[in-house]
Amino acid sequence: MKKIKAGRQPNRSRAGDVGVAIVLMIFGAFFAFPLVYAINAAFKPLNELFIYPPKLFVRNPTTDNFSDLFLLLNKQGVITFTRYMFNSVFVTTVGTIGHIIVASMAAYVLAKYRFPGSRTFFAAVTVALMFTGYVTQIPGYLIMAKLGWTNTYLSLIIPAFASPMGLFLMKQFMESSIPDVLIEAAKIDGAKEGKVFISIVMPLVKPAILTLMIFSIQALWNNAGTTYIYRDELKMLPFALQTVGAGGVARTGAASAATLFLMIPPLTCFILAQSNIVETMASSGIKE
Amino acid sequence: MNESLNESKDLAAEKLEDLEQSVEDNATEEKTMDEMMEEFEAMESAMDRDAAMAAASTVPVAKKRRNLARGNAISGLIFVSPFIIGFLLFLLYPLQLSLRMCFCKVDAIPGAGLRLTWNNYDNFNKIFRVEPEFLQYLVEEMKRMALFVPGILVFSFFMAILLNQEFKGRTIVRAVYFLPVILASGVFVGLENNNALLSSIKDATKADSSLSSITTTLEKILLTGETGNKFFQYIIDIVGQVYDIAMASGIQIIIFLSGLQTIPPSMFEAAKIEGCTSWESFWKITFPLIGSMILVNVIYTLVDFFTRTDSNLMGLFDRTLLQRFEYGKVAAMSWVYFLIIAAILGIVMLIFSRRVYYYD
Repeated sequence: MKKIKAGRQPNRSRAGDVGVAIVLMIFGAFFAFPLVYAINAAFKPLNELFIYPPKLFVRNPTTDNFSDLFLLLNKQGVITFTRYMFNSVFVTTVGTIGHIIVASMAAYVLAKYRFPGSRTFFAAVTVALMFTGYVTQIPGYLIMAKLGWTNTYLSLIIPAFASPMGLFLMKQFMESSIPDVLIEAAKIDGAKEGKVFISIVMPLVKPAILTLMIFSIQALWNNAGTTYIYRDELKMLPFALQTVGAGGVARTGAASAATLFLMIPPLTCFILAQSNIVETMASSGIKE
Repeated sequence: MNESLNESKDLAAEKLEDLEQSVEDNATEEKTMDEMMEEFEAMESAMDRDAAMAAASTVPVAKKRRNLARGNAISGLIFVSPFIIGFLLFLLYPLQLSLRMCFCKVDAIPGAGLRLTWNNYDNFNKIFRVEPEFLQYLVEEMKRMALFVPGILVFSFFMAILLNQEFKGRTIVRAVYFLPVILASGVFVGLENNNALLSSIKDATKADSSLSSITTTLEKILLTGETGNKFFQYIIDIVGQVYDIAMASGIQIIIFLSGLQTIPPSMFEAAKIEGCTSWESFWKITFPLIGSMILVNVIYTLVDFFTRTDSNLMGLFDRTLLQRFEYGKVAAMSWVYFLIIAAILGIVMLIFSRRVYYYD
């Protein structure tokens, strides 16, 4: 992307500038609204949460909601909050790393080589993007049961490795951003496939890796893990927080704190990797 | 994103045929090569030693090249196989199992898994004739699609054009417009629906809007007018859903933006020199050149719209699956749903792909 100089376009009046800014601000407010609301709600004391008509901004911010939340979670049972936290962090980290490695390895071959069935396979992956989760839920459970993976972390981690979205994005990005000449040059210099992949392909697709990371973290972090897992001590953080939210009106404060709490990790990752993500989505859109 | 699906399927079939043929060709070639080699060797015994040396030296070179190719193939296989195995195991196998369930009566047997007994088209009979909600929700969903998809496309196109202007802090603004994509899925939506507070707010605002205001009066005037009240209803529905539409158009904006940035600025300059106004150059340059992106976006929006988890139809799937345990029915319903989506995508692709102008 070429660097764009900020400033006024020569053929537009100042009033036009202001107009564009105002329209963008109005719709920008639309887009930022859920985030702003969630942050504010988490810090509202209980009486402010039930003000009618509701206010967007908090007036007397407190951290009561958070202490309530932790109190509730610790009171809930034998399983402590840190245990759920560990489950979520562990599954998210391992699943994301594995997904990035598996998806980019397959994407590299699909993007740069032709082998019998490669196009059919990629077509199957794109079709799979269209199916909703309900179709595969029961058969998925049967497979997990056959493999003996129910009630293990494996049932959450391994399927995440082969999620089709990652392969799709990665392949599109690799096709557009890695010149074949570069790979050939490396091979002429004596690099083997593994070497080419690790020291040439992977550094070049860093934006795509960060994008995959965001999508994968988002999917895994929001997974309550209740489909294949029954033992409470192996379930994930969203499960714990959902039980808090389900507790009725009295727990509204704790529930809004929980919402914010769950939003933080994907949001932080997004802010850190923001510019790269927009770039990847853009270039994977071009090459279709 | 699936625009190239049919194309690529056809291409894949062609490619496969080509490949098979070339493999056969190769095989026959190798055979003839071997035969020639034998002949050569037979002749060679009668010839002098130099020729023998030459023949001997060509064999290892050919072997080496073949080994190299095989090595490449093996490492390629190692690279793809983890994904392929995972894909087959966790997606394709479940999909074919659910396809089979469509035509079967599925019973859960404690301790022994599921038993599938073939019952022809009974499930389909049931979902269309007995299940009252399925058809109704399906039609509702189609209506919503007719409302949402054009709304999202127009809105995101408009926003992309604005975001493509030059102004300070553009990257930050773009990031803000991508935020819903990050926040939309998963728990946030779940909590939004389950949260007692939010639902009470929703009720409150609903009560509010029943109060008569200028807009509701205007709405009534427009709707009771003789001509085109369907059209006005459509417009009013879109305006009413503008928040939902905006929330669903994060990725579409980015895709349009990338399309806008691939148009060379020199084109606009040339048009301006020829005396084109901005309005004209928008319709004559920007619009035709962004055509391929419009197709991509239509397809993305359709897929995204149909696979979102908070629709009535998904709720029905959820209830049938988790409360009534009618697996066969759910499988049949979701496959019918999938086939309808695929048909709509096919029609859209057919209509659009003829008109899209590709610029290189």
